[in-house]
Amino acid sequence: MRPEDLLTRTPTAEAVARETAKLPQPSEEAREALRRSLEAASRPATPAPWPALLQEARGKMDSRYAEPATSHRGGLAGLALVVSKRAFRRVFQPFINEVLRKQVEFNESILDALATIHDVQREHARTQATWRQEMEHRLARLEAAAGRAASGGREDGPLPAEPPTAKPGPINKG
Amino acid sequence: MRYLQGLLRRWGHPSDIFAEAWDDACKDQVRPASDYARAAGQDSVLVVHHSFESRLVPLIARAPGRKVLVYHNVTPARLFEGFERKVAAACDAARDELLALRPHVERAFAYSRFSAEELVAAGYRNVSVLPFAIDWGAFDTAPDPALRAELGDGCANVLFVGRAVPSKKVDDVLRVFTAYQKLYQPLSRLVVAGYLHRDGAYGAYLHGLKDVLGAERVRFLGRVSAAQLSACFATATTYLSMSRHEGFGVPLLEAMYRGVPVVAYGAAAVPETMGGAGLATLSDDPAEVAELLAVLERNTALRGQVISAQRARLASLSQDAVAEQVRVAFEGVLSGRVAPSPAPPPAAPVELVCPGFTVRPEEAASRMARSLAERLPGARILALRPRGAEPALALGPEDVGGVPVWHFTPDQPPGRAPAPLPGASSLETAVRVSSAPVVLLGADTEVARAVLPHVRERAWGTYEGPPAGPHLESARQHLGRRLVVLEPSRPEDALRTLLSALPSTGGVSRAT
Repeated sequence: MRPEDLLTRTPTAEAVARETAKLPQPSEEAREALRRSLEAASRPATPAPWPALLQEARGKMDSRYAEPATSHRGGLAGLALVVSKRAFRRVFQPFINEVLRKQVEFNESILDALATIHDVQREHARTQATWRQEMEHRLARLEAAAGRAASGGREDGPLPAEPPTAKPGPINKG
Repeated sequence: MRYLQGLLRRWGHPSDIFAEAWDDACKDQVRPASDYARAAGQDSVLVVHHSFESRLVPLIARAPGRKVLVYHNVTPARLFEGFERKVAAACDAARDELLALRPHVERAFAYSRFSAEELVAAGYRNVSVLPFAIDWGAFDTAPDPALRAELGDGCANVLFVGRAVPSKKVDDVLRVFTAYQKLYQPLSRLVVAGYLHRDGAYGAYLHGLKDVLGAERVRFLGRVSAAQLSACFATATTYLSMSRHEGFGVPLLEAMYRGVPVVAYGAAAVPETMGGAGLATLSDDPAEVAELLAVLERNTALRGQVISAQRARLASLSQDAVAEQVRVAFEGVLSGRVAPSPAPPPAAPVELVCPGFTVRPEEAASRMARSLAERLPGARILALRPRGAEPALALGPEDVGGVPVWHFTPDQPPGRAPAPLPGASSLETAVRVSSAPVVLLGADTEVARAVLPHVRERAWGTYEGPPAGPHLESARQHLGRRLVVLEPSRPEDALRTLLSALPSTGGVSRAT
């Protein structure tokens, strides 16, 4: 840890940085294994747009407002119907809003729930794919190491284990 | 809020709490917000606590009496991206409400200078910092014996307390803990105490991440009782926070109170909350932060120094000291006197938004900002404060190499190049409230992405290198032909284009 990356007065940043430099250095293998698993687990924050399969339902979520008034009849009768439909809407819209308020809230909630299920499924799929890749990489590394051991005439030698971690230090709990 | 109500009542002022929604536990202490207009008179004072979308601005605007804002800060929506689109939209709406509240409020308080800076940037008058009142006695609950025995088994326990939401970056806590466990202390445990929405995308992500990282002994406790929380702290070796946004950060102080050394990523108001105590770091590299956990665990002397410094930090936050500071802060409000607010600074003819101007002066965007500022009289450069610089309530020009620059605190410490620069809520707010044309020097930065939807009609932007990446695509959609390529080898082309287009130089007519 560099002192310029620390904001502390007591102890000073320099003192803390000095102490971190005195820590036992983890093995290169352990560092490399950590780097690999962090890399495998990295996930840049990307905007998650609404799932495409819910877009149509989302467009119809607010059921308070109908499509523009139309009539299949022609002529004056059709025009009168359209005008009366518009007038009806205009006069009764506040009541329609009130009647459908709960329905709109329900639509919103159910769409949110569906979107959440979709997002959770996506996360599970992503995690499983990452985990599988990581397992395959580990297997490949083990096989390569076994191959090297075999070509070196140590066919019966033990396979290299995952890199050892540091020995536990004393635990202080203040 | 209840603490403030108690103080007000103690000083002889009747006080009620009005809210839209509340827990059953406090149903006897709260009245519905819709009752306020009827209950209030012209001599009433409404103290509005703002931290999330409330949809109450119209009610507040209509209500009689004087109004005061207490700003807890709003989490930037970008921190919820990819996980919580509804919460992200609500955070954006809450920032809109912050601006909508401004004309109705005569005085504004914030719990940190970081939050206060945003209020000043938003154009609020009479902004000051209010000390955060903490009921320290509530932390003295006896530990739950069963959990204490379970966690006190000899492992080095790393503790995080808080809701497991994306902005708290519990995933980074997991990363740091994994590094600590694999590099320094295999006999360690991570304890996360706080609500975790297991059926949500972030909950699924965290559980998957735990498997991929291969960390052992990770405990997500969910919501815990006061006694269980005490057990967590009593058995904790270190407290770790990698949160990207805190308006103040009470759990950090709680850990200090309970004698647990704190390691925290210095984002938002975290360094201010810690006040130089504990170990706040500007690095989010898991291996580097793990070094701090390791050194605190192994070095008894250093650990003792940190704990002592933490205790000293809390001395300034005693209940009596805080109550007196709150009384002084509210004196003007309660007496009806309003301090005259300074005249707002003259509007700049052009806003040159260059987040990296001071932290990365060698970049082409910074050099372009300088060239533009030298040619556009009165134009102001808006940039991020350097790493470690403290927030300030007085925003104003600072001379940087002969050019006046307005600095704003970034939401997270700026990383070293080529890491992308972080956003800055206060800078973004300052750009939004300005009516001047805006030049976004770095149209693919976080700041540009946040402000573009609000200033697209009056904005120009520049970008370097190949036109790729989702941020740049979004900028292209907003700006169209007003997005200009900045070739580092031939900056004069972009400079000429911008100077001919900007209204203050006789280019296109000023947008509104």
